[in-house]
Amino acid sequence: MSWDIILQQSVSGLTEGMVLFVAAAGITLVMGSLKVLNLAHGSMYIIGLYLCFAVCSQFVGIPAYFYIAIIAGTLGASIFGGLMEILIIRPVYKMGHIYQFLVTWGVIFVVMDLVKMVWGGTYHPITAPQYLTGRIIFFGLAMPKYNLLLIIFGLVVFVLLYLFINRTRFGLIIRGITVDREMMSLLGQDVSRSYTFVFMLGCALAGLAGASVGPITVAGPGMEMMVLLKSFIIMVIGGFGSIVGALIAAILLGLVDSFGILFIPRLALGFPFFLMLIVLSIRPWGLLGRPE
Amino acid sequence: MSAIQKNKVKSSHCVTLAVLIVFCILPLFLRDSWVSVVAEMLIWGLAGTALNLIFGHCGMVSFGHAGFFAVGAYTFGLLLNYGLVPYSIAFISGVLAATLFGMIVGWFAIRLISHYFALFILAASMVIWTIASIWYGVTGGDDGLIGIPVPDIFLSITNSYYFILMVVAVCLFILYLIRQSPFGSALYAIRENRRRAGSIGINVRRYVYIAFVISAAFTGIAGILMVNFLQCVFVGYADFMRSGELLFLCLLGGMYNFMGPTVGAFVYLFLDKVVTRYTEYWPFVLGSLIIFIALFFRGGIMGFMEERYRVFKLKRGEL
Repeated sequence: MSWDIILQQSVSGLTEGMVLFVAAAGITLVMGSLKVLNLAHGSMYIIGLYLCFAVCSQFVGIPAYFYIAIIAGTLGASIFGGLMEILIIRPVYKMGHIYQFLVTWGVIFVVMDLVKMVWGGTYHPITAPQYLTGRIIFFGLAMPKYNLLLIIFGLVVFVLLYLFINRTRFGLIIRGITVDREMMSLLGQDVSRSYTFVFMLGCALAGLAGASVGPITVAGPGMEMMVLLKSFIIMVIGGFGSIVGALIAAILLGLVDSFGILFIPRLALGFPFFLMLIVLSIRPWGLLGRPE
Repeated sequence: MSAIQKNKVKSSHCVTLAVLIVFCILPLFLRDSWVSVVAEMLIWGLAGTALNLIFGHCGMVSFGHAGFFAVGAYTFGLLLNYGLVPYSIAFISGVLAATLFGMIVGWFAIRLISHYFALFILAASMVIWTIASIWYGVTGGDDGLIGIPVPDIFLSITNSYYFILMVVAVCLFILYLIRQSPFGSALYAIRENRRRAGSIGINVRRYVYIAFVISAAFTGIAGILMVNFLQCVFVGYADFMRSGELLFLCLLGGMYNFMGPTVGAFVYLFLDKVVTRYTEYWPFVLGSLIIFIALFFRGGIMGFMEERYRVFKLKRGEL
């Protein structure tokens, strides 16, 4: 196997890994601090992706339209997530995980059809501005520019998220409600509002992943399940609530995908699930999570 | 008191008998297309009831029961398709395969709780899904296997219907007995308070494990019946969405009632047939229905009816 194939596969694996990291960071954050498994997380990704498409196709003339599209996707997903938290998840926090699964499960179907109603069931390509597409020469190899950008972007998101959670006051509150909800509310923190905020942040990350991946994929129906399942895998391997764990797991998953297809294409599809089974049976709290 | 109790048992027996008779004479009145819908309802009802042994009865969410359904279906379908064994052996091997898979998965899964449990079963079912979809040479991959040679007697929809009715009735009866047994009561105790159940001497893990394996076996039987009825196997049987559908049956019908999932299956498939006639946005209706039921209608249909029945009795001063 030659050097350039290795490099090519690494870039495509890392790209996929970084996009998945941004999506999975959201679900793991929500799972870690709210203890809610948001099954509609993949739907937030879809919302981001479609909003990006909508803005890109409407405002293709104006400058910086692509950045507006990404922001629109992120904000759209986070507003949808906020409404969802307030209207349907808040009443079931105390009802145990059964009802949390069910209401978020219902949202999947609703979003699936809303998207179909608005944009139809066909595939829509998204075009990035010219200076972002094309290839650049990298170690004597032509690499797609946008993929490299996505890798850097993923790392930036990781650093910002890490600093946000560990260095800011909001981050402190998030860590606080993770450990003890009652104690935080006794300390005068509006826990309900913090929950909504964390949930919106999680959904925003999913929307951001969906919107930023637009130019190298197409907006089409039925992608939410794939993203949801992969986010599950990353969340489990990395550990509930662990951002660093999610980064490692996402890179691992991306590389397994891209190299697995090269060597053992048949097993590459099932290997992540197998890995998830092993982690859950040996270390249910994941690589970097904390045992409950 | 004892007279009322006895009377109640008798009346519920009468209802069961009446329902059974109605099902027996249904093919005389309905068109073949509706008979096949009822047959599918019965199969889904069995799968839902089997899942409910874990879900409603033990209070543990399984997001992968479609995996057991598919293991039963594929084992049965493949054995028949390649003519390896006679029909009866294929049927038994299907049940055994689902049971065995349940034993292996359950062994690890019961050590986990809530989210971990749900995710573990989900991953296990996705492994089955992957195997079924990538092993083209044997399972037919995404296309599935079509035209599985079942005995000629099942080619008639009516015959097939009666066979399904018989198997489902027997399985539901067995599940009912399990639910009414001391073992079933122990499962209730585990659902209500795991730690307390443990401290009064119930071996929580062993009980949940046994319930899990039973549930897997009966879900496998439902899968076999489906193949027997449709004569084809698809990857979709093991799909994540399929597992969710099964959970929805339990929720719709009422997961705290034995007949809930069966009632849920009837209502769900009926709605599916009717609503898709008027609108292509059936998933939207379904999703809203799921959210509505989960938020405001937690007992499901049977829970609602039970409550009405209680109010009715209270008004007549019989309770």
